[in-house]
Amino acid sequence: MLTNYTISVFTTNTVGLLNRITIIFTRRRINIECLTVSETERKGVSRFTIVIRSQSREFVEKLVRQIRKITDVLAVFGYLDDEIVFNEIALFKISTPLGSEPLDVKTINLDWNAKVVHWGLEYVVVEKNGTEEEIHEFYSYMKNWEILEYVKSGRVAVGKTEKGLVEFLPEEGNWEIV
Amino acid sequence: MGQTQTKTAESNQPEQKKFLSGAQAIMQSLVEQGVDTIFGYPGGAIMPTYDALFDYQDRLKHILVRHEQGAGHAAQGYARMLNKAGVCLVTSGPGATNLITPIADAMLDSTPMVCIVGQVKANLLGTDAFQECDVIGMSMPVTKWNYQVVDANEIPEIIAKAFYIAETGRPGPVLIDITRTAQTDLMTIPYQYKLCKTLISYKPRVEPKAEHVEAAAKLINAAKRPYILAGHGILISGAEKELNEFVDKTGIPVATTLLGMSAMDADHPLFVGWPGMHGNYGANVLTNSCDLLIAIGMRFDDRITGDLSTYAKQAKVIHIEIDPSEVDKNVKADAPVVGDAKAALKALLPLVKKADHSEWRAEFKKYDDEEYDKITKKDLFHEGNHIKMGEAVALLSDKTKGEAVVVTDVGQHQMITNRYYRFKKQNSIVTSGGAGTMGFALPAAFGAKVAVPHREVVAVIGDGGFQMTLQELGTIAQSGLPVKIIILNNNFLGMVRQWQQLFFDNRYSFVELQNPDFITIAKGFGIDGHKVSDRSLLSESLDTLLNSDKPYLLEIVCEKEENVFPMVPAGGCVTSIRLE
Repeated sequence: MLTNYTISVFTTNTVGLLNRITIIFTRRRINIECLTVSETERKGVSRFTIVIRSQSREFVEKLVRQIRKITDVLAVFGYLDDEIVFNEIALFKISTPLGSEPLDVKTINLDWNAKVVHWGLEYVVVEKNGTEEEIHEFYSYMKNWEILEYVKSGRVAVGKTEKGLVEFLPEEGNWEIV
Repeated sequence: MGQTQTKTAESNQPEQKKFLSGAQAIMQSLVEQGVDTIFGYPGGAIMPTYDALFDYQDRLKHILVRHEQGAGHAAQGYARMLNKAGVCLVTSGPGATNLITPIADAMLDSTPMVCIVGQVKANLLGTDAFQECDVIGMSMPVTKWNYQVVDANEIPEIIAKAFYIAETGRPGPVLIDITRTAQTDLMTIPYQYKLCKTLISYKPRVEPKAEHVEAAAKLINAAKRPYILAGHGILISGAEKELNEFVDKTGIPVATTLLGMSAMDADHPLFVGWPGMHGNYGANVLTNSCDLLIAIGMRFDDRITGDLSTYAKQAKVIHIEIDPSEVDKNVKADAPVVGDAKAALKALLPLVKKADHSEWRAEFKKYDDEEYDKITKKDLFHEGNHIKMGEAVALLSDKTKGEAVVVTDVGQHQMITNRYYRFKKQNSIVTSGGAGTMGFALPAAFGAKVAVPHREVVAVIGDGGFQMTLQELGTIAQSGLPVKIIILNNNFLGMVRQWQQLFFDNRYSFVELQNPDFITIAKGFGIDGHKVSDRSLLSESLDTLLNSDKPYLLEIVCEKEENVFPMVPAGGCVTSIRLE
């Protein structure tokens, strides 16, 4: 059975590192389901959140060790879904020409926990945060209108532990908070 | 790199003369790093650096090769002898791409290398400029680290970092891509070189954890049929003495991998040969009979393990390895010990009990005898007219007393050399193992000779591989260094032919060579040599080769369709080894 694994990679902020990391996946023919790169609360530390599906925990563990081996990688963790809090964000651009079926903003707000973030002349942009499944369900609902564009981010995730990032970083670093 | 600040008002224009150019900074950094030899080839984008080199000729010996691949392999040979990074200097575009093969080879065989590569001017990056190529992108999968320099101020720090990464932990190749702009620009800060001693994002573990060592010692002390596989890590960490002490105390039989050869004296009573596809009979079969497999500084390559699902399943496994990603990669370790081989053996020694495993050792002997009857005897003492590769190598081994540095290429001759050369002196094998790069031996032998000119360096090469980098005869001739070259010529790409014979129903598909006159070629380069095909003249031919005080090429015409045995069929179980 394919299981979701979320791999969090913490690195120094170095040009080309994304390429070095993705090579590890492509070389082993692993499809990256989604990838998010962002800054962290510590100066000079970047965070990659990579989601893959795999049948084997052992395989993911090997992958984590290969990523850890890259110079400029500070720490790597592989998580199962129940070990993290995670979310994604989606934007829907919906056509709302004059005379068309009006958008049910109240339902969108209250039932779907989504919101209209931009009102255009003949379109609106709706933002929905949630897990991949929640966004998928919301997508089905939004199909009641004409979807001009749909975009979804990769996953962002934090581990369900009391520890902060800095506790996993090399001790001698001056991990100044941003 | 935070120190790229612009100069202060005081140090403006007139003062600027004090500052080094990027190219000068490269040279000065190499000198301060302790580099004495560079293997290189000039070209457009690296010309400013070559211009700076002109003024550093008294401190940096530059060796002009004939092809960048030659520079790479020579640097590898050099690095393998001295366990310090070999340095290459080449230009952008094709200069850099020609270096990719040696870099990939060095990556697989854990060889420290620092490759300095020219790049087009910074403002031309990404424009498909003349001799521009994305060497950072290309070399990424085959380097331990790489970096593009666009700012001259970064050069000292990056070079220091490059050597640190290349030479520490599991050694490997590092590439620095330096734009022409960064070479010609003057630095805007005072030049200062500080050796790199630590990096926040790269921390190889040298000393193993005490609890891991204790767990390993426990397994060793309880084992009845322990077996050591010693790899390249022994040579890299210089742990030959520690390995011998460990073995003498514990009485455990040892096999060395292809790259680990010469870690033990071939005549040591506990040395049982080598494992793997063309390794020894007992060394392979008994892998599946031991109760404890102690792997030291090796990575369970598929050419050693064959079918993993049947490999050493009965045994507990101790894996001593500096690269944590190798642990559990192919073979699950019951007791992993992450650390340097030398440090780990030192830590283990006081914890292991003195033991005698002579009964278990004797089991290897039974297999050795059978192998001797079926293979060795026929190779060395046959009645035929043709010279066999094995007898040539065995004779070379005798004549050099097993003390030469032996550099081999890839193929049948490589396996035969490993089989019949009786290594008596440590750190004496240079070969392309993981990558299996034909054309490796000639330039690598040259690089090894540059590193250890006082030692006899003999390259043993097949007729196929020799033709891949034979232009380096020019480099050897120009240097005048007495590199000894043996071509074992069977007019075939022998290993491929052997496979075609055994596994492809004798369908010889493009493996026969129409060879040039190798001696004429050597002489054309100004290198003396001769050809021998008469068995009775083999011994004196080798004497001529070894007695020469100049480079010398000996072509030995060998039996055409000789096969290398034993052989474990690719992907087969180690016990499915064939003796004929």
